[in-house]
Amino acid sequence: MKYKNNRIGSAVLACGTLVGMLLLSATARADDIPPLEERLQLCAGCHNPDGNSVIPGNPKLSGLDAKYIARQLSDFKEGKRVSEVMASIIPMVDEKEFKPLAAYFSKQKRTDGVPEKADLVAAGKQIFDEGVIGTAAPACAGCHNEDGSGSNKFPRLSGQDPTYVKAQMLNFKNAVRNNDPKAVMQAVAKRLNEQEIEAVAEYIVTLKEAE
Amino acid sequence: MKNILLIIFVALFSLQAGAAAAAEAYTPKVYGKKGYVWDEMTPERVQVLKMGGDVDRGKDSFRGCRGCHKADAAGVREGVYPRLTGQHASVLIKQITEIRAGIRSNPKMLPFVEDPAIAMEEIGDIAAYLSALTSVRENGKGAENMSARGKKLYNDNKCYTCHGKNGEGNAAKAYPVVAAQHYGYLIREMKLIKHGTRGNSNPGMVKAIAKFTEADYEAVADYLARLPDYRTVVVSK
Ligand code: HEC
Ligand code: HEC
Ligand code: HEC
Ligand code: HEC
Repeated sequence: MKYKNNRIGSAVLACGTLVGMLLLSATARADDIPPLEERLQLCAGCHNPDGNSVIPGNPKLSGLDAKYIARQLSDFKEGKRVSEVMASIIPMVDEKEFKPLAAYFSKQKRTDGVPEKADLVAAGKQIFDEGVIGTAAPACAGCHNEDGSGSNKFPRLSGQDPTYVKAQMLNFKNAVRNNDPKAVMQAVAKRLNEQEIEAVAEYIVTLKEAE
Repeated sequence: MKNILLIIFVALFSLQAGAAAAAEAYTPKVYGKKGYVWDEMTPERVQVLKMGGDVDRGKDSFRGCRGCHKADAAGVREGVYPRLTGQHASVLIKQITEIRAGIRSNPKMLPFVEDPAIAMEEIGDIAAYLSALTSVRENGKGAENMSARGKKLYNDNKCYTCHGKNGEGNAAKAYPVVAAQHYGYLIREMKLIKHGTRGNSNPGMVKAIAKFTEADYEAVADYLARLPDYRTVVVSK
């Protein structure tokens, strides 16, 4: 799959998909839930069929905890997590589909990523493993694990797209993303400046799942 | 094991008081302000002591703390983040609930330990887990060995009446273990307690430490930092 490597690309795609799906859903009855394979085609446009998106700004969904995915989907639906793109998609998806979609993506294997600015990786590793003592920013590794593999409490970060990670960190910092039930990521992000956020995002994309 | 017994013991006594106290709204009373009583049983602390703790659940709950206190809970050598291993469960519960209640000031840590980051049910578990751990990583000490002078100060000022001959503290009275802690942390806490800025100063300790000079803090901290883990000390009768 080849898309233009920018956010406009995904926005154009979003609009296209949106119009198409709205037409479809207008004719479909409310309780008409499509089979999972059919629904996955909608997600695949932006997140790839195996959840390993290749478009900067779009997150990889592969290997994320199923409960985490399902919670994000219902937060998008209820407007608790703000994203223009996902807000245009989620009205087409019924709540009953969240669990099977989440289960599907959680079982996909996360692919490796490539940093955009390799010179920032070392500084990013320092922040990820040790935190920032001066501002008392805790080490990311403490919660998300040293290899970024995460757990049922903390989402997987390894190999995640740096543009997405940067945007999310800024969203946490500015309280735009404030649906974290433990409310800890806002506290973490507020203690990092933009340079530190960029560096840590460049390190995160290099993290690989241990075999 | 001792700690668990203590928890059960205290719990039995506070059962009734707890139910009544928890119902009322709680306002924190900080050292230096009217109404401060050292070691006040806050409603949450009463509840936590009643619940006891589970080591395995505590290990899981501690994940959110590792970013600062490190995966082995031994803190950092510079002492910015203290060692939590082997501290008495009763002390850990006192400190955590007092930080959550706004009695002990700790703004760096608060977002990660307050509700909803940590639920009340998890506090006893975390305390049970940490109190059973031993540190294998070396702690921070003074630049030079000042332990002879430090030991004299510790004894002359009768610090041992609360913190014990081996820095082992007192679980039943919630006096903390001070042996084998990081040097930098010990100095900072002695000053915070003396000046009342920590919020939960013990008045007896404020008196004991009243005349300490900068050099005294350093010598005592170095002495305590160089003491072995109190659990490895064989006490002769
Ligand atoms: C038009 C592109 C597009 C489509 C189609 C799309 N997404 Fe998304 N998705 C995004 C973008 C962009 C984000 C990042 C949102 C943000 O900035 O917060 C996202 C975020 C998410 C997240 C949050 C991931 C995380 O790590 O927190 C989940 C879960 C998700 N999408 C699931 C889906 C599912 C399931 C489908 C199919 C039903 C789908 N998406 C369809 C673009 C899309
Ligand atoms: C105290 C534990 C903790 C620490 C430390 C921590 N995180 Fe998180 N992080 C979380 C939790 C919990 C979530 C899930 C939030 C939610 O469920 O909405 C999260 C989510 C995230 C997300 C969003 C993932 C996604 O797929 O959208 C990113 C990015 C992230 N963290 C990056 C970091 C970075 C970078 C650091 C270090 C600077 C860090 N975290 C430190 C607990 C932590
Ligand atoms: C952002 C960093 C950070 C995080 C995350 C953090 N702490 Fe702390 N913690 C500190 C600092 C700093 C101190 C020392 C404060 C002072 O100097 O008084 C401390 C002190 C403590 C103390 C007091 C120790 C003593 O000897 O009196 C306890 C107990 C404690 N932390 C437990 C926890 C637990 C449990 C968690 C997880 C729920 C946690 N901390 C998470 C930074 C942190
Ligand atoms: C009357 C009892 C008492 C005496 C005497 C006393 N302390 Fe303390 N000390 C305490 C208590 C209680 C605390 C913890 C404060 C609290 O949270 O309740 C403490 C805390 C400390 C701490 C910080 C430990 C930590 O983990 O945060 C240090 C260091 C310390 N004392 C050193 C000393 C020294 C040195 C002396 C002698 C000059 C001394 N204390 C005398 C009761 C005492």
